[in-house]
Amino acid sequence: MERVVKNYPTSTRPALDDVDVDIDKGEFVFLVGSSGSGKSTFLRLILKEEVPSAGRVHVAGKDLSTLSSWKVPALRRSIGCVFQDFRLLPNKTVFQNVAFALEVIGKPQGTIDKVVPEVLDLVGLDGKAQRMPDELSGGEQQRVAVARAFVNRPMILIADEPTGNLDPQTSVGIMKLLDRINRTGTTVVMATHDSAIVDSMRRRVVELSQGKVVRDQSRGVYGYGA
Amino acid sequence: MRAQFVLSEIFIGLRRNLTMTIALVITTALSLALVGSAMLMRKQVSEMKDFWYGKIEVTIFLCDPVSDTGQCHKTAVSQDQQSAIQTALYANPVVQKVYYESKADAYKHFKDLFKDSPDLTKNVSPDALPPSYRVKLKDPKKFDVIQSEFQDMPGVDAVTDVSKGLKPVFSLFNGIGTSAFVVAGFVVVASVLLIFNAIRVAAFSRRRETGIMRLVGASNLYIRLPFLLEGALAGVIGAAIAAGLVSIGKAYLVDQVLAPNLKFARWVSWADVIHIFPVLFLIGIVLSTLSSFFAIQRHLRV
Ligand SMILES: Nc1ncnc2c1ncn2[C@@H]1O[C@H](COP(=O)(O)OP(=O)(O)O)[C@@H](O)[C@H]1O
Ligand SMILES: [Mg+2]
Repeated sequence: MERVVKNYPTSTRPALDDVDVDIDKGEFVFLVGSSGSGKSTFLRLILKEEVPSAGRVHVAGKDLSTLSSWKVPALRRSIGCVFQDFRLLPNKTVFQNVAFALEVIGKPQGTIDKVVPEVLDLVGLDGKAQRMPDELSGGEQQRVAVARAFVNRPMILIADEPTGNLDPQTSVGIMKLLDRINRTGTTVVMATHDSAIVDSMRRRVVELSQGKVVRDQSRGVYGYGA
Repeated sequence: MRAQFVLSEIFIGLRRNLTMTIALVITTALSLALVGSAMLMRKQVSEMKDFWYGKIEVTIFLCDPVSDTGQCHKTAVSQDQQSAIQTALYANPVVQKVYYESKADAYKHFKDLFKDSPDLTKNVSPDALPPSYRVKLKDPKKFDVIQSEFQDMPGVDAVTDVSKGLKPVFSLFNGIGTSAFVVAGFVVVASVLLIFNAIRVAAFSRRRETGIMRLVGASNLYIRLPFLLEGALAGVIGAAIAAGLVSIGKAYLVDQVLAPNLKFARWVSWADVIHIFPVLFLIGIVLSTLSSFFAIQRHLRV
């Protein structure tokens, strides 16, 4: 989907340097690399939260550099996002947190009442819809975040270190969930530096180092020498 | 411990927002009330001008044995002089109407005018007042033309402009109106800045929500509208209070204090007051919405 240089104005070294990666529909891609290697920047470019200093980003066949700003919301509706820090609203229940994503894009209440329980069921949170986020464990909170990202059935799911704050066992649960979502046909791009997860999943791995792609392997593992 | 901390945080935030909200509504109300007062002041001046210019008269006092000024030398105007003056008046293009007021008419008028003060009328004899021509002009501002033509005619004592005494009153009201506009301008700036700040704080305290809205693809309008409405609401409340303040000013200051004591003019009516309300609301809503628009433009990433 790209051939991209990204310079941040405050930084001397480009965060991404001549990155050229093509991700197909329905793929599951791990973006690995040490902290500061440019993984988050890569993901932000897909969302058009950042614009490339050079090169082009294409999402679903559309060139983001020519996408007018009023069409950006439509782009983001087709992409779900999950982050390391969950980003839930603390004063809303689980149900309201997920419903929020639909309310603010103007979905009718009838649809919301139908699809929110469905997606909570999918992520394994049925029965906890009325809990507040601080009454949930970290893994459960991340499930809420995944539910919110997926409730609008996006084509692409972006996950930036979704297991970064979770213990290994909980992480496995989240990975199973992302895998299940991937099997519905949703493209999943996940940034991580959790080697155990990458090794166990045996999916495509793109490794970044100092903004450069140093490896692109299908069915890869985290480190070299596999 | 944690819950307590969070609770106290919420209360602090609420109190901070509350005082800020009160402050900005008060300044908005005050600035709009000043704008309204200034507008009414203008209205008042033009009302007075209409009133006085409508009945304005130039009075040409004729010579009389009691006066020694002008061309008089203590002799009465002669028949020839008087008809010369009258002819000139009728021939003058700026003159609309001419009334002759004889000595007897003048005395009657004088008694009418001061009928509440018998002490004054008692001391004035029927002979004391000179005859005069009361002249109505087509254009009240042409007084100078009349004055220069008639001042030096034989038989004329003095040419006076009735509106002269009102000039200071007009300029007083004009001055008050202008100062009110200037002060209003400053307070308007203050209230615009306060609204800007309040919306900035609101945008900051709701950045979680707006951040998520952005990520899930809410439209720009949907994200911004609550902030714009908040600003507009402050403008509406401010304008409503300002309308109340102006009405109170009209009911007490104008109707109870000024009008009963200064009967020389018509005062601004309730219709005039109500006429400025839409202007106040318009200014309030437009300014507050604009300043919140710029606040979120700068402080809300979309
Ligand atoms: N907003 C920013 N402004 C300036 N530099 C940034 C910004 N975001 C990231 N960077 C820099 O870009 C590089 C890549 O960052 P990032 O994409 O967050 O890496 P990762 O997610 O792999 O840790 C780092 O050197 C970081 O310091
Ligand atoms: Mg990162």
